[in-house]
Amino acid sequence: MVAEENLRVVRSGGSKLNFRRAVFSADSKYLFCVSGDFVKVYSTATEECIYVLQGHSNLVTGIQLNPQNHLQLYSCSLDGTIKLWDFIDGILIKTFVVGCKLYAFFASVHLEDSVFIIVNKEIPDGFQLASLKLPKSPSQEVEAKELSFVLDYISQSPKCTAFGREGQYVVAARDLYMSVYFFKKKKTFRFSLPSGNKKNCNNIFTCIACHPKEDCIASGHQDGRIRLWRNFNDNKNYTYTSLHWHHDVVMDLAFSIEGTSLLSGGRESVLVEWRGGIEKNKEFLPRLGGTIEHISASPGGDLFCTCHSDNKIMIIHRNLEVSAIIQGLVKDSVVNTGLMIDPRTKALVMNGKPGHLQFYSLQNDKQLYNLDIVQQEYVNDPGLVHIELMKAAFSSQGNWLATVEQRHEKEAELELQMKLWEFNEQQQGFILNTRINMPHEDHVTALCFSDTENSETPTLVTTSKDGHFKVWILTNDSDIYKQAMGWTCDFVGSYHNYQATNCCFSEDESLLAVSFEEIITIWDSATWELKCTFCHRPGKIKNLCFGRQTCSKYLLGTTEKSFLCCWNLLTCALEWSVQLSVIVLEPDPNSDNIAAMSWSSGGSDLFVFKPSEPRPLCIQKSMCREKVQCAVFVPRDVPESFISEDYQWLNKSQFYFLNESQDLMTFSTKSPEEKLTPSSKQLIAEESLPTTPFYFLMGKHRKQQETNEIMENELIYHPSAEDIPAISELLQTPAHVLPSASFLCSMFVNSLLISKGTKSAEEIPDDIEMESGKATDDSDEENDISEKVQKATNDTVIEDEIIPQLSKTQERELRKLRKVDYSWMCSL
Amino acid sequence: MAASGGGRRDPLAPSGSPCAFSPRGQHYFSLAGPDGHLRVWETASSRLHQDFVPSAHLSATCTCLAWAPPRSLAKEGPQRKKRKSEAVGTGDQVDLLAIGTAVGSILLYNTLKGELQSKLVSGGHDNKVNCIQWHQDNDCLYSCSDDKHIVEWNTQTCRVKCKWKGDISSVSALCISPDGKMLLSAGRTIKLWDLETKEVYRHFTGHATAVSSLMFTTLRPPKESQPFDGITGLYFLSGAVHDRLLNVWQVRSENKEKNAVMSFTVTDEPVYIDLTLSENKEEPVKLAVVCRDGQVHLFEHILNGYCKKPLTSNCTIQIATSGKDKESTPSPIPILAAAFCSDKQSLLLVYGSLLQPAIERVSLHSKEPHMCLIRDINCWTPKIGVAVTKVKTPVMNSEAKVLGPGIPGHHAAMKATLETEKTESKKRLKENEQISIEERLGAMDIDTMKEKRKGDLKADSYPVLLVQGLESNDCYMLNKVLQTRKDTLIRNTVLRIPVYAVIPLLNELTKRLQGHPNSAVLMVPWLKSVLTIHASYLSTLPDLVPQLGMLYQLMESRVKTLRKLSRLHGKLILLITQVAASEKTQGVPPPEQTAKLVYEEEGIETLALRTFASYI
Repeated sequence: MVAEENLRVVRSGGSKLNFRRAVFSADSKYLFCVSGDFVKVYSTATEECIYVLQGHSNLVTGIQLNPQNHLQLYSCSLDGTIKLWDFIDGILIKTFVVGCKLYAFFASVHLEDSVFIIVNKEIPDGFQLASLKLPKSPSQEVEAKELSFVLDYISQSPKCTAFGREGQYVVAARDLYMSVYFFKKKKTFRFSLPSGNKKNCNNIFTCIACHPKEDCIASGHQDGRIRLWRNFNDNKNYTYTSLHWHHDVVMDLAFSIEGTSLLSGGRESVLVEWRGGIEKNKEFLPRLGGTIEHISASPGGDLFCTCHSDNKIMIIHRNLEVSAIIQGLVKDSVVNTGLMIDPRTKALVMNGKPGHLQFYSLQNDKQLYNLDIVQQEYVNDPGLVHIELMKAAFSSQGNWLATVEQRHEKEAELELQMKLWEFNEQQQGFILNTRINMPHEDHVTALCFSDTENSETPTLVTTSKDGHFKVWILTNDSDIYKQAMGWTCDFVGSYHNYQATNCCFSEDESLLAVSFEEIITIWDSATWELKCTFCHRPGKIKNLCFGRQTCSKYLLGTTEKSFLCCWNLLTCALEWSVQLSVIVLEPDPNSDNIAAMSWSSGGSDLFVFKPSEPRPLCIQKSMCREKVQCAVFVPRDVPESFISEDYQWLNKSQFYFLNESQDLMTFSTKSPEEKLTPSSKQLIAEESLPTTPFYFLMGKHRKQQETNEIMENELIYHPSAEDIPAISELLQTPAHVLPSASFLCSMFVNSLLISKGTKSAEEIPDDIEMESGKATDDSDEENDISEKVQKATNDTVIEDEIIPQLSKTQERELRKLRKVDYSWMCSL
Repeated sequence: MAASGGGRRDPLAPSGSPCAFSPRGQHYFSLAGPDGHLRVWETASSRLHQDFVPSAHLSATCTCLAWAPPRSLAKEGPQRKKRKSEAVGTGDQVDLLAIGTAVGSILLYNTLKGELQSKLVSGGHDNKVNCIQWHQDNDCLYSCSDDKHIVEWNTQTCRVKCKWKGDISSVSALCISPDGKMLLSAGRTIKLWDLETKEVYRHFTGHATAVSSLMFTTLRPPKESQPFDGITGLYFLSGAVHDRLLNVWQVRSENKEKNAVMSFTVTDEPVYIDLTLSENKEEPVKLAVVCRDGQVHLFEHILNGYCKKPLTSNCTIQIATSGKDKESTPSPIPILAAAFCSDKQSLLLVYGSLLQPAIERVSLHSKEPHMCLIRDINCWTPKIGVAVTKVKTPVMNSEAKVLGPGIPGHHAAMKATLETEKTESKKRLKENEQISIEERLGAMDIDTMKEKRKGDLKADSYPVLLVQGLESNDCYMLNKVLQTRKDTLIRNTVLRIPVYAVIPLLNELTKRLQGHPNSAVLMVPWLKSVLTIHASYLSTLPDLVPQLGMLYQLMESRVKTLRKLSRLHGKLILLITQVAASEKTQGVPPPEQTAKLVYEEEGIETLALRTFASYI
């Protein structure tokens, strides 16, 4: 693939994050998500990517925590392997080679020895759920071939398969069928729904979720209904209730970890929480910005996360508050604006969310922010035609931003709007300066600012399919009421009513080149006079650019009929032309190099050349399998000093390009080994948090306390009502035969006092002593008696002290003895 | 290169909060506020990245900060196949931030995970930590404290590797030499330590007050020959509390040096210093010093030997509020920190309040000695309870200019196809002025003529009113005339106005046509009759095209939707009126000839406006 060993094409982030459900770690600190061939580990607190687990050689299709060890993560991929990772350190532990493409992965705590995968066997559309025994072997790479099929003809998407409570059953759905397989009974039940040809009724299953505590299955459907299935271990008596709020497809469902609430989401970009499975009891989190594609709940129960179609993961708190956003490069189906560099922040700018411009930091591989250009609430509905952001351009200093938006619903109803934003230094933000309705009568094909830094009036040129190009200049609109600057049209040019397709200013701003279908016209930017025309028939002009620096006398153009032409502006003659079907032509602003990317069946090729030299500086054949959509040179902050001729062109600027699958790629000269060395050199500091004062207060005693507690638990014997005979007697005897309450009272109290063992035995006699002490004053007889009592109680005390641990029967005997004593006393 | 700029601050200052930029690209800015919170900001978007509250933030307040040198987090996989496209990796990640506290402990905070990683306590300091420096190559950390000691830590095991007495008083600043073998410490005097033997290598006099910052300014000694110890000949910089001079010292082979090589003078004591290291002899050292008074002073100097006179700054940057609106006066906004970007051509400025600082990248191209940036600080007041979002909404206020089809400025102004005008296209504005002067002269004529007429023509007050209104631009008068709906009255009025009032009338009509459709529809019969009656006069005007270009464009844009129908309608009207006219000619003297083209347009225009009005 690589012509030069040293110059390699590398992916520079912006990869897809919303392919599969994100997975939380057991402590909710980390979030894992599938991203192309990698698994990314994010911190839920800081939104930062902590690790990239790389090792798979094809798309990763499923991830799940190892149910046996929550510090490990399984991942499966289309390359036919299952890998086990230690995500705390980002290390690959094991690889299980299965050998066929794996589409999804499931593991359950309750089914210890096997995991489940979705594989495709023979028939192109026939996916099967198979259980796989993972052999226990110490080696790093293990073959795992023990497949046994569980369910046949299921959906490819892992959203349509779910494991039930405690791993007792598995549910899979496809089209209008849902099958439930019970592992113990080894029995499959199938349920089907009517196809529903009626309006607003489309019963196709889209997702499945199982209640974690009860036998309940939730299924989402194409028409927005959610069904809660119960009693499904019976082919006939099954029941379901339906919840309906979504007006469009239910994209995903998830139960909270305790099962009290069900979360659902769809195209409305509203997260709905159904509490207790009741239709009326629901909460909403609206305006999440994009179709909710996946929902997952953390094992701790405190966080949810939703993956959105605009390549973002939102981490949502239990009380439905967004706590963090992990935003990747927003992937729109077409990059209308192309790639630009914001001169102010050096961020990559392209259109992102509908009606927004996204600013993306290339150094951090992180989205900075979305700039809301259209400023209209985005209603996510398939039937609606939205205002799209078509073109955007920055002036060379980043002071001005021009955007063109359009809404094209029907043939005759084209709505265009051009907005000119001024960067306000005071407020550090863009402020709308001029809004132009219908700047042209037809689609705007290109716009560019004049490039020089020290021109007194900024100039903007727009070209359109209506056959005109317009020159807009900034003029002073001040009147007695206000000081104002505004943009006005200065010149309208056309050439034989051909459609204007491209425009480009020369580096010194003196010339403007506008291409009209097959013809390039050169205009003097001071007087707007047509200077000359160039033409290379046949074929319309696709790209146009002036040479830079030493090559500024050259004009380059590419035609549809695969020619790359170079004209000399001094002689007005064709300097050279090459047959090459160029897709992207991009000049480097910092040097005189120009990059051309062409497309052939083998892949995309890159040619870097100077217009003045016949030999290209660098040729990279088939550097990328897919077609390249757009490319940009990003000036380097610190120039590199490559000596090798092949990548000298990368000295001043870095080259980025976007292919059709919307991966942002760049060139790297470092070998992978070189890139990895620093990590091995520097080990990560150990986590060592010392004992806190709180620990000294509480933690130190905890161990003792724990042991104490165990002992106390032995000592403090809380008798239940049944255990104490007095109480049980009291409760069992019918009320009408019970003696008076005053009699029962002492008995009852005494029965409770026993539990305190020796202590109570000591206290009670003391009381009696005091009583008896009072009694002595009354009579001698009583005195004697009391003495007797004392003796008797003393006996018991001694007894208790001698044998502190009495058996139950002995205790009971004692109690009886005491009971007898007291009753006798009371009668006195 | 700016990595060495981390973690410098004034230890004795009550107000200067410890802050530091993350090394390699300054993607983050960390600031320990007076409330005990440690906040990390993203420099590119001025967004709060994380907010960390150490457990003992009230008793053990943060006294210094230092980012760890970047480390790559990409791990070597055990079996890596060469792949077509692998991730370029997130590159060198900065993840550790060392926090020194007032009680002598050092915390290592992991900014990636947002949690405390380790705490260096045992065997360390028992008083306030004054400065922390990471060793750039190994996992060592050096700290100095008020307890007079310097401690070398192993961050992997979180143990003390070595601890020695650094000075007879508290040690206030540290700096590691570029080759990593020496350490500068500042207490009462500045000492250079050999890190292997922990012995004093050189002595420097230092400042009268406690040294708050130390920094090496050169990477290599000036002479080409490499000195035996790798340090002789290097320059370093020191700043001190309450000292408006920053001294530059040179490490010399003989140990007798008592005086600083040179010094920089600033307006107040330095709070934060950043510099670009000069890699060779020719490259000047760029220095940015943030002072207590909130200004930034920039120096650019090639270090070569003695300079007796203190150098003053090349450029001073200040930030202030605009103070234009309301009665507020411009007030300065303090700059908290400044750091050179990796291209050395621009400066990252942090300014505003400690709770919500603004971070801005300012390019340093201008040669002016004083830069005062006017910023609106109010839009960065701390917002509480704002939902997490990554959408920025640019301001769209009503002051923005709106252009639509037919409104002047939407289309290029019509130019007469005269040869002379072609060349001086850029002087259009002046030309317009000239025309208006002409008109004014004409208007003066009207005045005189009108006075003459006033006597005899009293009955037709409408034309008089109209002409007066046009002349004085009196809205009331014009409204009174132009809001009439009677066709005959309009026709008669137009017939009787003097020809020099035609163009002003047309301009007034055009202006009104651009306005609200309800009033615009009233102007249609006026326009129609003006164009029919005065067509011959208009066709004689030499500068008709620029004069009526706007009107033409307006009509063009409004008839666009039903072009064919309106053309047909226009032609039919033309036919009908001509038939009617030919019938009339038998008795009445022939009316003024009208130009066909203009007539047709009128028809088009009328219909278009009617349809337009009914559409509205």
